[in-house]
Amino acid sequence: MTDIELHWDDAFAANRKSTPDHVRGRLSPENAVLPGFPSQPQASRTASMSVRKATRARDVRADPAPMRWAIIGIAVTFLVLFIVVPLLNVFAQALARGFGAYFAAIVQPDAIAAIELTLLAAAISVGLNLVFGVIAAWTITKYEFWGKSVLITVIDLPFSVSPVIAGLVFVLLFGAQGYLGPWLQEHDIKVIFALPGIVLATVFVTFPFVARELIPLMREQGTRDEEAALTLGASGLRTFFRVTLPNVKWALLYGVLLCNARAMGEFGAVSVVSGHVRGETNTMPLHIEVLYNEYQFTAAFAVASLLALLALVTLIAKVVLEGRATNAANSE
Amino acid sequence: MRIALHDVTRRFGAFTALDRVNLEVESGELIALLGPSGSGKTTLLRIIAGLDWPDEGEVHFDGEDALSRSVGERNVGFVFQSYALFRHMTVFENVAFGLRARPRRSRPGEAEIRARVERLLELVQLGPFGKRYPAQLSGGQRQRIALARALAIEPRILLLDEPFGALDAKVRKELRRWLRQLAAAA
Amino acid sequence: MSGATLARYRWRVIPGFGITLGTTLLWLSLIVLIPLAALFLKTTELSLVRFVSIITSPRVVHALELSFGLSLAAAAVNLVFGFLVVWALVRYQFPGRRLLDAMVDIPFALPTAVAGIALTNLYSENGWLGQLLAPLGIQVAFTPLGIFVALVFVGLPFVVRTVQPVLEDLEAELEEVAATLGASRLTTIRRVIFPAILPALLTGFALAFARAVGEYGSVIFIAGNLPNVSEIAPLLIVIRLEEFRYADATAIAAVMLVASFLILLAINLLQRWSGRRGGGLS
Repeated sequence: MTDIELHWDDAFAANRKSTPDHVRGRLSPENAVLPGFPSQPQASRTASMSVRKATRARDVRADPAPMRWAIIGIAVTFLVLFIVVPLLNVFAQALARGFGAYFAAIVQPDAIAAIELTLLAAAISVGLNLVFGVIAAWTITKYEFWGKSVLITVIDLPFSVSPVIAGLVFVLLFGAQGYLGPWLQEHDIKVIFALPGIVLATVFVTFPFVARELIPLMREQGTRDEEAALTLGASGLRTFFRVTLPNVKWALLYGVLLCNARAMGEFGAVSVVSGHVRGETNTMPLHIEVLYNEYQFTAAFAVASLLALLALVTLIAKVVLEGRATNAANSE
Repeated sequence: MRIALHDVTRRFGAFTALDRVNLEVESGELIALLGPSGSGKTTLLRIIAGLDWPDEGEVHFDGEDALSRSVGERNVGFVFQSYALFRHMTVFENVAFGLRARPRRSRPGEAEIRARVERLLELVQLGPFGKRYPAQLSGGQRQRIALARALAIEPRILLLDEPFGALDAKVRKELRRWLRQLAAAA
Repeated sequence: MSGATLARYRWRVIPGFGITLGTTLLWLSLIVLIPLAALFLKTTELSLVRFVSIITSPRVVHALELSFGLSLAAAAVNLVFGFLVVWALVRYQFPGRRLLDAMVDIPFALPTAVAGIALTNLYSENGWLGQLLAPLGIQVAFTPLGIFVALVFVGLPFVVRTVQPVLEDLEAELEEVAATLGASRLTTIRRVIFPAILPALLTGFALAFARAVGEYGSVIFIAGNLPNVSEIAPLLIVIRLEEFRYADATAIAAVMLVASFLILLAINLLQRWSGRRGGGLS
């Protein structure tokens, strides 16, 4: 309380002298305005009333110890049981027959083809979603227009659609019996059962990732920086590349990583549109399924472990990037 | 009720917030702690309320050791600088909270709780606002509800931490005057 | 000028509105809207009678019941245990806390096929956990119970990550005020903290439910995939597609989509409700 009315204390001192002596202690509304209010029973006293010189600080918000340990126990057990153990199992099964078998499974031609296809499809999908995700985020956060919330809902749509349905819709469009099927056959263009179909399905499923990472951040940052750049004479494009992008670089990177992890690991949607042709249209997840169904468990887990490693790398990157983003925000 | 602080010291790591503070407050007194920010005012209030404990020193209420009591047992009303109103409860439920939180034995009946709360709302001149949510009130109104809520438990001590810090000058003046009247009548 | 009027002028200030909006709409149409429109178009090609007969056939009904029922149960489990997990992660300190916190995202980042084979192997008779459960007469792999376990796995991060920021941002002063007003610890948790995080809990539940309903990769390995026993709806769609029975597949997909849209709507309403009442300081 730094600003004071200096006369206040004097006025109050005068007031105080007129306070009747018999009114003691409790500041209660009854005394203030309405007389005749029943008094509250005294709170019960604790047994130990000894004076203490040094006291232990007890946090008001702390839960009692038994409750704490019970909850920690349950939480840790649950997480270990459902997450840690399955993850460890992947690597354990992959190495069940030793490193030799592990590497043999990975360098097997069909596996290599699957890896190549996965990387290619992911690169294209992520690239497309990066560009269009950024544009979509820009549209939503830098302008006001009618129908914006509808747009946001549409962007979120792939999240709430089953991957199988995502694949289904593309089959309905481009499949042999699909709407565009005959036209495609005429022009000898293969979409379903080929790379384009896989890319389309992957793009559908992973589209929201980049946009969703950027939108909250860009919304928070507002348009101030861009407006400043414009008043300084920068063009729109220059503003975008020199001002907007640097502001969101960590969120963008994380969005790309998430998008990539999901793209490389997508199973349901791709399973529907690919032809499951070994060595040609099998991505890594599909190849895992093939191996597993043929009871080649170790090989299946070996390929799976690569994707598991990717997931771990993505998570580590997330932690690192979140740290960088927080530092950037704090230093503003 | 008399409050007596004796050689109260509180350190946070290498920083000493309170250094052998001695203070005596008589029954019915209205005391203002003044000082620049960071001088330990909030820390002192929190220690009196039981939200914090001193590293050394004693605190007595009416001659009895207050430090051995938990915050709930001390019956100290506390009004935070940020009001700390429960956003998901109506104004009425906020003010009634302390009464309803009592163990069944010492809890007043619903009818009595309602009567008390309504009387308190009238006191802070927000009678018709019972069904509103805190988000619908202005800063000054929230301040008064926070005060009414603290008063509901009929505290022996009422602590206000920078109660007018977030309000504009005119509202501040009015609330100060009003608080003075409240204290004077107690 | 009011804020709304000013905002409307903003798009003339920052260049590129036309092209960016146009590009976004075009891209979304190509990738999302037109494909989905194809689905509903296909649905309308069916006569109502045929549509109803498809979706009321026993196998379809069973698959839908299984998918939605087990998803609901799995989401409920995630609600309860997710709450305990987020409470422990946010409010307590214990060794390994940060590591476990990071690992909560694993079901989110791990490919579903990898999770599928890992869980199947784990709970099969020779698996680490299957071995422990077999003597008790509990079989998890290749039964609906296995589906349930897989659905719990995929939905786990949703409740935790949705509630976590809300719980972290909950001001300490709320609890302190409740304590000064004489509330016991239990009362404070029950009447101050819990209502504040309830909207987030419900949102997380809905998200976990939506995810579980459509889940395919994690489930088809561990499920028995026996029709009318352990066959989930997405699998039935795939089977129908492979049989070139597009109409059937479309009908089932349409039912699932409508249900998903309703869930999305519920999530949006929940979030708006929580925004209005809020759960923190005011």
